[in-house]
Order: sequence, then C-alpha cells, then structure tokens
Amino acid sequence: MRVTEIRGHRGIGPAVEGIALAAADNFSTRYDLDRDRGIFSRPSHKLYGESYIGRILVLNAAKGGIASAWMLREMVQSGKAPLALLLNDANPVMAQGAAFADLSFMDRFTGDITSLIRTGDTVYVDPAVGLVRIHRANNAGGCQCD
Amino acid sequence: MRLNDIEKAMLNGEYGKAAKWAIRYQQQVGDFFDAKDFVEVRLIRIDADRETVGESGITFLEELANLPLSERRPRVFAASDFRGFDAPALQYLLPGRDVSAETDAVAELCRKLGITTSHPFINDHSVTSPAFGEVCCYSGSYSVIYLNSIVGARSNYEAGPSGLAALFTGRIPRYGFHLDAVRKGTDAFKLAFRPSNVTEWGALGAIIGRRLNSYWRVPAIEVPGAKPSILELNHLGINLASYGSHAMFHVIGVTPEAPDWDTAWGGSPPAPDEITHQEVKDFFAGWGGEGEPLDIVALATPQLMTTQLLRIAEILENKKVHPNTTLLLYTPVEIKQVCESLGITAVIEKAGGRLVHGHDFFATFAKEIREEHGWERLMTYSAKMANICAGYGYKPTVAPIDLCVESAVEGKVLV
Repeated sequence: MRVTEIRGHRGIGPAVEGIALAAADNFSTRYDLDRDRGIFSRPSHKLYGESYIGRILVLNAAKGGIASAWMLREMVQSGKAPLALLLNDANPVMAQGAAFADLSFMDRFTGDITSLIRTGDTVYVDPAVGLVRIHRANNAGGCQCD
Repeated sequence: MRLNDIEKAMLNGEYGKAAKWAIRYQQQVGDFFDAKDFVEVRLIRIDADRETVGESGITFLEELANLPLSERRPRVFAASDFRGFDAPALQYLLPGRDVSAETDAVAELCRKLGITTSHPFINDHSVTSPAFGEVCCYSGSYSVIYLNSIVGARSNYEAGPSGLAALFTGRIPRYGFHLDAVRKGTDAFKLAFRPSNVTEWGALGAIIGRRLNSYWRVPAIEVPGAKPSILELNHLGINLASYGSHAMFHVIGVTPEAPDWDTAWGGSPPAPDEITHQEVKDFFAGWGGEGEPLDIVALATPQLMTTQLLRIAEILENKKVHPNTTLLLYTPVEIKQVCESLGITAVIEKAGGRLVHGHDFFATFAKEIREEHGWERLMTYSAKMANICAGYGYKPTVAPIDLCVESAVEGKVLV
C-alpha cells in the first residue's frame, strides 16, 4: 500500500474516507447528472454512466451556474450524493452548496488533483486542515476514467 | 473573517435564529475564499425555481417560515423572479403533475419570508438593474455576469441559500468580484469577424468559456465594427457563464470598466488571441443532427423579445409546424400580452406553435418532459440551453432563430 498526502486550501464539511471516482473533466450538478439515478448522464462527460453515490468525486473545475447550491443539499438528504467533492478550481456556488449541504469539499491543491488521484484509490479527506491522503494498492492497475 | 459588533451579535443569536444560521453559513463560505470581512448589500435576488429548490429546500424554507417574525426579520430588500407560470402549457408538457401549484407553494413560502415574488427578469428585458459600482447579491449566473460586465455593479454568484442568508444579515462576504483587482481582464481576445446574430454571439461565449473554464478568469475581447447591442452582449455573457462559469467579461470600448485595453487589463495587455468565424461554424457543426427528424424546437434562455417574435410570425405566416414537431416559444408574460395585442399570438398558434411564459424550458423539469413525450432531437437558438439539455438526455442542435423555425416547419433539422 502506497500512501500519499496532498495539501489544499482549507475546505468545508466533515472528514471522510471513501473510494475515489476521478476524471479530468468539469462538474455541474445540473449539466452533468441524473440526480434521480445518481449517475453521470451527460454523454460527453468522461464519467458518463458512472454512479457517484458515496464516492470521493474528483474533477477539475466547477462549471455552469447557481443550481448546484440547492441541488447538493437535495442530493445529500436523499442519500444520492458523493461522499466528498474535490475540485482543482471551485466557484462560489460549489462552496455555498457544500456549506448548505454539509458536504465535504476542497479545492486549490498543490498539484492537479485529477492526475494525483485515480478512480479506485481509497482517499481520506479532512477539509478542516486542508488535507487529502491517498491510499493506493501497490498492484493498482490504474483504472482512471480519463 | 473580521466580524464587527453587529455580526458578532448575530453569531450570538441576538438578531434571531435565522440570522444566527445565516451569518455562520456565510462565514464558512467567506473563510473558504479568504474573505477578510463582510460588506453590506442593498439588493438581493434569490433563485428559487421549484425544480432547483427540491424537496429538501422546501423543508428548509418551511422551517425558516415557521419561526416567529422576531426570529427571522428580513434586513434587506429581496426579490425572487417567479416569472408567472403558464399552467395550460405545463399541463400539456407534464400532464401527470401540477407544477404550477408546486411553484405557487414555493412562492408563498418566499412571500412569508419577506421576499417579493415577481415576474420581471433581467435577461428577459423586463426589469431595471442596479447602478454602476453597487454591491449586489444576485444568484443567476446569467444575471451576475450581466451586472458585473454590462452594468458595472458588483456581485459574485450567490446561489439561493446565499441570498437567503444575506436577507437575514444584510451583508455578504467581500471577496471575488467585490474586489477591484479581481475585475481586471486576465485573458485577451480579438475577433477576426463580427458575429452576425445573437446565436453567434452565444457561440462566441461558449467557445471562450470552454477554453478558459474558470470563475476567476475574466476574458477581455476586442470586437471589430459597430458596437454590440445589449441583447448581443447578453447572449455572450449567458454563454460565458454557462460554458466557463465566468462572472465577468470586458468588451473593449463598450463595457463600462473597459474604455480601453489598459484600463480593462490594469496595465499593458499581451497580444490577444484571435478567434475566427470558422471556430463559430465548427461550434455549430459539432452538435450534429442534420436531416434528422426533429421532436422539439424550444426558443428560450434568454426568452424572446417582441421583435424576435414578430420575425417568427412572419416565417410562420400561412405555414404549419410539422405534425411530429413541437414548437415552444418562451417569452415574459408582459411580452406575451403585447403579442396578443399585435396579432402575433394568433399567427403562431394558427401555425401550430405555442407561446409559453414563466420559467425557461430547461428549468421546468426538461428531463421529465423528454421522458413524458419520448422526445430526443431538440433544436434551439440558445447554446446554454443545448449545454444543459445534453445532460438531460436530449440530442440538441444549435442554430439561429430563422433556421430553428424553418426546421420546425419541415420537421427535420436544417443547417
């Protein structure tokens, strides 16, 4: 098992640990998701068809507008949300939505988070101190979706 | 964040439970973006359309509304643009569901909280906007980019809960586009052509947005020829926000904080990247669909003005929309009334089209509408609508208004 620690800006929400779902693509709850089924529904998205429920969702930048703030809370309260959201580049809406939903959320890392974390990695996220710890099996095949 | 005595008292609950929740929530967001303090706000627009708010949002609003007034006193003027609701149209689109009544319930909760509910909507050209330099708290990304860029007022994206928090505190965290330095251009562009219609202006916004894709980047653009109109800039901004999550842009010599390159940039800019007309053509071609059967044409986002509807009526005069295609034309209720007076509505309805007022197509359960009707191929003049509806299972094609309407008559995608 290889363990790597990455620093980011201090974030929002509780410390959590889960399995990563990662891609070098962008993110909006309105533009990209079927929120009823908990999957990516945008055909051009690199995570198309993937379920994000309970995953540490790792993507590049927030996109689109304001809907994500209300929607993140709805997703959390209906049990159809990622466990945490890690973005290279957030916009205010994602931060406002994460705070409203009490969803673990971080951005502004010391490197490109979408290349540092692979789908399938076990990831510990502690937003209060701006820490992400990646646990990767030594024989990990690298099932990155991008 | 530095808190003054009033803000500390809010945190201690001395201004009621709603303000206590709100200031703590705003502090979390402010800390996330390294805000140093709060700034007072005069005007709030809260996004609260029924689809976006969801069940948990309604529960949250009910909890606030059930507090005694002393615990939830509003401290600033706030409005939410419900834009009316076209009950007959929604009964046709979603026959198993009373969306109009569901929306009325949200509007009633907002009114109970002291939020004015109204029809006017900046991007539909039926409302005035704040003044240059004014601190605002607006939620719609399209409204925010309009205010920052075209008006010169100042706002970040402040999503529904954020506007709600500001309602109770009368202030917002001072970061992002409230700071002079953040408002300067970060990426320089020069057009090698002048867009010939609003759809091309929208495509330009999409192209730049896809390229930069960051809230924190501010494109500055040099445009040849005549100054663009407000409507053209509106389409540019809507799509910069949709595709790039941008909150501000400059058009040199046109927008108020860009009288020249040096002012817009805050110094000497680098040589601008050139954008060609071919890139716009490629953007349209990228959606595909040529010759395919057309299920629905929806023209909205932004909604249509009287002059655009007049043009559509001219195209539809003595013609019929294809029986397998639905033509929906979205316009504010005030303009809909004008269309009835001018005889535009009669021409459109005789041809088989439908005028719809209220929230935009994409914000009224467009996924469920697609499932209800088995629709797939969508045509629209709005690159933003195409961007959203692609995630809802539609196959969108983007084209100028004339081509969309002519395609509706033919029942297939014309390019």
